[in-house]
Amino acid sequence: MRKIIVIAVREYQAAVRTKAFIIMLVAMPVLMSGGVLAHVLLKDQVDTTDRVIAVLDHSGTLFDSLQDAANEHNEHEAFDDETGKQQLPRYILRRSALDTDDPTTLQLAEECDKVRSGEVFALVVIGADVREVKEEKSAGQEKPVMRTVGGIDIYSDATTFDDFNRWLRSRVNSMIQKERFAAANLPQEKVNQCLVPVPVQARKPLGVDTETGEVIGGTRKREGTDILIPMATMFLMFMVITIGAAPLINSVLEEKMQRIAEVLLGSVTPFQLMGGKLVGMVGVSMTILTLYLGGAVLGAQQAGFGEHIPSNLGALVGWFVVFQALAVLMCGAMFIAIGAACSDMKEAQTMLMPVWIVICFPMFIWFIVVREPTSTFSVIASLVPPCTPMLMMLRLASAPGLPLWQPLLGVVLVLLTTVFCVFVAGRIFRVGILMQGKGAKIGDLIRWTVRG
Amino acid sequence: MNTIEIDKVTKSFGDVVAVDDLSLAVPHGSVYGFIGPNGSGKTTTLRMIMNILYPNSGDIRVFGEELHGAATDRIGYLPEERGLYTKMKVRDILRFYAELKGRRDFKHKVGDWLERMELSEWANKKVETLSKGMAQKVQFIAAVIAEPELIILDEPFTGLDPVNAEVLKDAILELKRDGTTVIFSTHDMNVAEKMCDYVFMIFKGHKVLDDTLTSIQKTYGADTLRVSLDRDAGDLTTIAGVQRVNDYGAFKEVRMGTGADTQKILAALMERAVVQRFEVACPSLHDIFVRIAGPDALEPRP
Repeated sequence: MRKIIVIAVREYQAAVRTKAFIIMLVAMPVLMSGGVLAHVLLKDQVDTTDRVIAVLDHSGTLFDSLQDAANEHNEHEAFDDETGKQQLPRYILRRSALDTDDPTTLQLAEECDKVRSGEVFALVVIGADVREVKEEKSAGQEKPVMRTVGGIDIYSDATTFDDFNRWLRSRVNSMIQKERFAAANLPQEKVNQCLVPVPVQARKPLGVDTETGEVIGGTRKREGTDILIPMATMFLMFMVITIGAAPLINSVLEEKMQRIAEVLLGSVTPFQLMGGKLVGMVGVSMTILTLYLGGAVLGAQQAGFGEHIPSNLGALVGWFVVFQALAVLMCGAMFIAIGAACSDMKEAQTMLMPVWIVICFPMFIWFIVVREPTSTFSVIASLVPPCTPMLMMLRLASAPGLPLWQPLLGVVLVLLTTVFCVFVAGRIFRVGILMQGKGAKIGDLIRWTVRG
Repeated sequence: MNTIEIDKVTKSFGDVVAVDDLSLAVPHGSVYGFIGPNGSGKTTTLRMIMNILYPNSGDIRVFGEELHGAATDRIGYLPEERGLYTKMKVRDILRFYAELKGRRDFKHKVGDWLERMELSEWANKKVETLSKGMAQKVQFIAAVIAEPELIILDEPFTGLDPVNAEVLKDAILELKRDGTTVIFSTHDMNVAEKMCDYVFMIFKGHKVLDDTLTSIQKTYGADTLRVSLDRDAGDLTTIAGVQRVNDYGAFKEVRMGTGADTQKILAALMERAVVQRFEVACPSLHDIFVRIAGPDALEPRP
């Protein structure tokens, strides 16, 4: 036991006292949240070059109204009222050179050349019967629905996310609706009054603080932010596995190839050596976890997101620590076994692929689980041992009222799996660590495990 | 009392028999030299003594007990190749190995050893900055710092220049004076001759020599001549009674056949050149090694 501690202390110091550790600690969260970070920082980077739109208006009057709307946009919407900075491109509408009521597709194709060459941003073709509606019976529906006969086509190379598509759609519809209300003798103000929306707000449940007796809770839930915390727990667990446990592969490979293992095994048993490495690694992982969690909570409070910190933070952290420890032990044992079975990093990478896929698998289905944390699928998925740490944490963070037996059962199953993994790894480690020359194949590993 | 007793031990790796029916007894406080060609089973035998490998059959008793799965703190081990964590500092790694063996009173011991091995200024440097010879010395200190009763050194002199080899040799002899049993394997026959009380040679998994150097040499008898001539005297094997010649440059080692007459050989040499040195001797360990394991080896001695 004492020897396990000696080895664990050495492992811990060797891992933590390196530049690589500090760099990884800082870089990992940046890498994982890179997409989000980039979006936040760069979303104001919009291309503001003028967009020339060629319009072929078969309906008759729409072009002029659109022209007015475009001018309105160019003067007011395209520029920030406060700073005067341009935040959207201007739309310059002009009539298409094609001067016919019924162009052939070939003529349209020729007009589109201007789009391809960049002379115009888009070619908009407004159908003659955009204002007409008719009843249509579609298959499988009882009542007939009203549909517009004509339509508008935008020919461009821009993506469907482009602001112009949205702008045109909204302007044309509001214009035509206005015409229809007027034709039906419904003044716009009356219509607006009718359409005033009723706010429906999602909130967290109210409760009573056991100490102060005050009513607490009821905070508003913003769209998307209530999956932030569950998502963060998953990423956090993955980061800790990567920074804390993955280095074991290199460490074992080094001990094997540098013959350090031979010397160590003259002083400790393989069980003590592996045990020490695992204990040291758990220590490193817990350090990383503390730094990240502490940083996240402090950062959230400083940035004013204090209200988003869940009220059951203590319980969540407790479960997280348990699941994280089990996850790194499970993965760590596998990494040690692979490191001992191989003779260089290349061989190890090949064997590691399936392991990484299994580790990452929960992240492939996380959205399904977080959307419906209490569905049968979610319950079952979170009880599959390799997925349990991440998925059970996800569910605990997104559905506070989870029945206790579920996470408890999860812990038991993962614990059994972890013990099994450590046992198998021990068998493989004992034989593999002293083997020189070619790496071992899967068949060898199975043989070592069974024979001992 | 014997520190090590190996009793009819066999070890195979798959179809390859690395050690075959080996028996050996290493007396307490002796310096035992293990010699043998590469791949002969030396390292395997050492690893079995270290309890890193288990024999397929036979017993090994160290300090009178069979060690089953128990690593022992009473044995120090220096592996053939570097066994040090490259990123650790010298002082830290020595402290680590001492702690592993259960020694807590290591601080001044580390300093003492570093001074004795002339490594004091490297105490706070990382192992990866050391030269091969210096790393070897650090490895040696790591093996002995916990004052084990038995030390196993696998080719400790490899890569050491004469000065460092001398330092190491003195350290080993001092350990012997303190009552430590030392086993070391080596390819350097000179060192083995000078330092070992007993020599054990293994060849193709079998023991072929196991005795004091003197006894071994007596078995062969004085069948070797060491001669120096003032000029190249051609092929000496043409002289009657000369079986083989080993040319060392400065002198030649001549192996005589059975029944050869030393005086007749001397006369023949005098006809060819001026004889500057003529010594009747027992074969050197080097020569014995080559006789047993060389390309035209005769039947290995039992």
